Amino acid sequence: MSSDHGHHHEPGFIRKYLFSVDHKVIGVQYAVTSLVFLFIGFSLMMIMRWQLAYPSAPIPFIGGWLASAVQGVVDKTGTLLPEGYNALGAMHGTIMVFLGVVPLAVGGFGNYVMPLQIGAPDMAFPRLNMASYWVFLPGGIIMLASFFVPGGAANSGWTAYPPLSVTANVTGTNPFWNGQTMWLLGMIFLITSSLLGSVNFIVTIVHLRVKGLQLFRMPFFVWAQFVTAFLLLLAFPPLEAAGVMQLMDRVFDTSFFMPSGLVVSGQLQEYSGGGSPLLWQHLFWFLAHPEVYVLILPAIGIVGEVIANNTRKPLWGYRVLVYSIIFLGFMSFVVWAHHMFLTGMGTTLSTFFQTTTMIISVPSVVILTAFLLSLYGAAIRFTVPMLFAIAFLPMFAIGGLTGLPLGLSASDIHLHDTYYVIGHFHYVVAPGTIMALFAGIYYWFPKVTGRKMNDFLGKLHFWPTLIFMNAVFMPMFFVGLQGVSRRLWDQTSYVTGNETHNWVKMSSWGAWMLGLSQLPFIINFFYSAFAGKKVAANPWAATTLEWAAPSPPPHGNFPEVPVVYRGPYEYSVPGSRQDYSPQHVPDAKLA
Amino acid sequence: MLATRYWLPPDISSHGSAIDNLIAYLHVFMAILFVGWGIFFIYCLIKFRARAGHLARYDDVKAKPSKYAEVLVVAIEAVLLVGISMPVWASYRNEPPKDDPLIVRMVAQQFAWNIHYPGPDGKFGRTEPKLVNEISNPIGLDRDGDPAAADDVVSINNFHVPKGRDVVVRLSSKDVIHSFAVPLLRVKQDVIPGMEIPVWFKAVKSNDEVREAMTTTVALPTSEADIEPFAHKHRGDVFMGDFGQGAAGQPLAARGGWVTKETIAALVQAKVVEVAVAPKDPVNIQCAQLCGLGHYRMLGQMQILEPDAFTQWLESQTGGAEEFIDDE
Repeated sequence: MSSDHGHHHEPGFIRKYLFSVDHKVIGVQYAVTSLVFLFIGFSLMMIMRWQLAYPSAPIPFIGGWLASAVQGVVDKTGTLLPEGYNALGAMHGTIMVFLGVVPLAVGGFGNYVMPLQIGAPDMAFPRLNMASYWVFLPGGIIMLASFFVPGGAANSGWTAYPPLSVTANVTGTNPFWNGQTMWLLGMIFLITSSLLGSVNFIVTIVHLRVKGLQLFRMPFFVWAQFVTAFLLLLAFPPLEAAGVMQLMDRVFDTSFFMPSGLVVSGQLQEYSGGGSPLLWQHLFWFLAHPEVYVLILPAIGIVGEVIANNTRKPLWGYRVLVYSIIFLGFMSFVVWAHHMFLTGMGTTLSTFFQTTTMIISVPSVVILTAFLLSLYGAAIRFTVPMLFAIAFLPMFAIGGLTGLPLGLSASDIHLHDTYYVIGHFHYVVAPGTIMALFAGIYYWFPKVTGRKMNDFLGKLHFWPTLIFMNAVFMPMFFVGLQGVSRRLWDQTSYVTGNETHNWVKMSSWGAWMLGLSQLPFIINFFYSAFAGKKVAANPWAATTLEWAAPSPPPHGNFPEVPVVYRGPYEYSVPGSRQDYSPQHVPDAKLA
Repeated sequence: MLATRYWLPPDISSHGSAIDNLIAYLHVFMAILFVGWGIFFIYCLIKFRARAGHLARYDDVKAKPSKYAEVLVVAIEAVLLVGISMPVWASYRNEPPKDDPLIVRMVAQQFAWNIHYPGPDGKFGRTEPKLVNEISNPIGLDRDGDPAAADDVVSINNFHVPKGRDVVVRLSSKDVIHSFAVPLLRVKQDVIPGMEIPVWFKAVKSNDEVREAMTTTVALPTSEADIEPFAHKHRGDVFMGDFGQGAAGQPLAARGGWVTKETIAALVQAKVVEVAVAPKDPVNIQCAQLCGLGHYRMLGQMQILEPDAFTQWLESQTGGAEEFIDDE
């Protein structure tokens, strides 16, 4: 039944691996593509960190190549230009968020694992799924191509605030093919891809669960993807609209965001005017705040799975966790203007947004506490995925806690737009989400490939990554408390920046060491995919449905459609023979 | 000495201590939470590691203590929010100061801060984008057409204010979003084109006082190769005393003189071991919102003067149709 798509002959290479409608192939496409983008995005930052640590020094090794290969990034000595710094910065943020983390967390993990975990043969709309990947990829290519057009890539921040984003990248460039315009076009592709995907996820989870899989028996990972899909569906459209509006301001001289009377470089600008830069900020942050929960929720889902499996007991407070992420999802729509406290906001509005921001911190505290309590009374196996999942907890704690001074408007006066903010959000995304994604890769690699990743290389990846993530981002809190602004090509011209420069050097060296620390992972990933130790269907002795399918699952996933008899984390059930009771095995067969 | 707390810069404003206190309480709260979680975390990792004979417990841990802890966390957050942050914001930001503040306009642009004083008549002259000339009239002041503009003073990048008096700055921008930030005054306000947004502060220390308080003694480099990096690091600094002695008995480095490579070299040669230095302009104005390629160098300086010195300065600028561009 599961492979019953009518007459079904073996597809050719293109249909099987390129334009496949199989959620597993699409999931791997997303994962591999986004890992490449993550590597590129991180490389941009490693270049920037040279300039920060050694201002005005030519970039070693690749400075010369950059001077000849790309526009507007370095000067002829190979030194990073201020506009190049801004371009790398804007593209680092964009690539990491929209081309790296979200496609991996949602397009990669969500696509591959979620249908398996609900017992489905595929997504509800397999062709839509394929479309969403093939809209994502051109979006990414447009973004990367923008480095090679005259004027170089977008350089107005991943936040693209007008009027800067409307007036930037215009001198001596083509009105269409310039960095910021291409950024907007790329965003339109990427947002469309996310919208297509989110519809698919919601319908699949609602309709394609197998018999016995009631909502409160779903793995926590599926709940996380479910809430994430709603966030994407409801939050992205305003930004897509705003992107089109900004595109029109740039290309057709409309004035959605352009006020009257602007004088740029001595030239009176010829706009009709009357527009508002604040409108863009509201539309942007209306997406971008829920977006950060899109970044964290799948990670929280993965951590839940790995912790349950490696503690050999049910997750503590499964229902509490589910209600928390649902509440978090709702609240994420009413906090956005905490990014705008200093835009001239009055007391009433800032009171509202501070309050909602404090409220939204509560479910995060609950989730973290639930995961910690899950460790109590456990029998913890320190497998490589578990190392990453465990490390996630204090890292997410630091990231979440440092959000508090930013979420209160009075303290935000001093900390807004400083390195404190950069430290805060990176702790959540980098030692937070990305480490959770690593946990997921090590955990589900055997399911995808039928082989395990090497444990020694895994630990060689884990420990330096953990140490150097902290080396990069912890100093940023000290730098930020001193008041050093973000997005500065050279911080040392300010007294506060000059005094904190040693911290900056520490972050830079940490970043380069962090880059090197990923080598064991890259080697492990490719080596193990072809020559890793072969394993059976359920090497982790896990309970959720994806482990009932063969490794790797065939087209259609389950040779026999599973039926679910119990909750997702029935480990160490008193009286049972084994320390795990898989969801799909009837009681009679368990004993 | 200026007190500094944790890693905060000195606070020389009248409202800043409330903000600093909030930041301090927050971090104590954060530290307590983190350490509390951390202790439990490490305890579990050790006590509940898998080992021979150790089995996991299926039943749910009774969570009374954690429920109470959760309620306590929410309560403390509520206190920080309602008891501190809201009142601090309201008392500082609700209304501009009424007690004879100095009112100035500040027009930000890529990449400079233009400060516009109304002059003795207390009225700001009309400005018009069409009149903007980047060299001679950056804010587009209608000197010829508007009589109120005749005595206005426009200063670039050096923001002179009197110590101990409220200052209200009406911020606007010519081109893109900037952000007027003075960390030592605990002031930050986005400057948004199309809007005029006021921000206010009162400086309780003058530049001279801040410079004295920021004076540090640093060891001079011992090798010649280190002289250039040392001079570069201290390129914004001046000597806070006389150091070394030249042939005619004059100091090699005089109080108030810039720290330069040549002076350092001379001092090193004269075997001077250490010097006292401080930033010449210790209260920076930073741009805190990405505004283009010159964002990093949109550096301004507060010039906080004793009230008499400020009046003297303002009077020296006023008068005459010439635009006095003060660009020290």
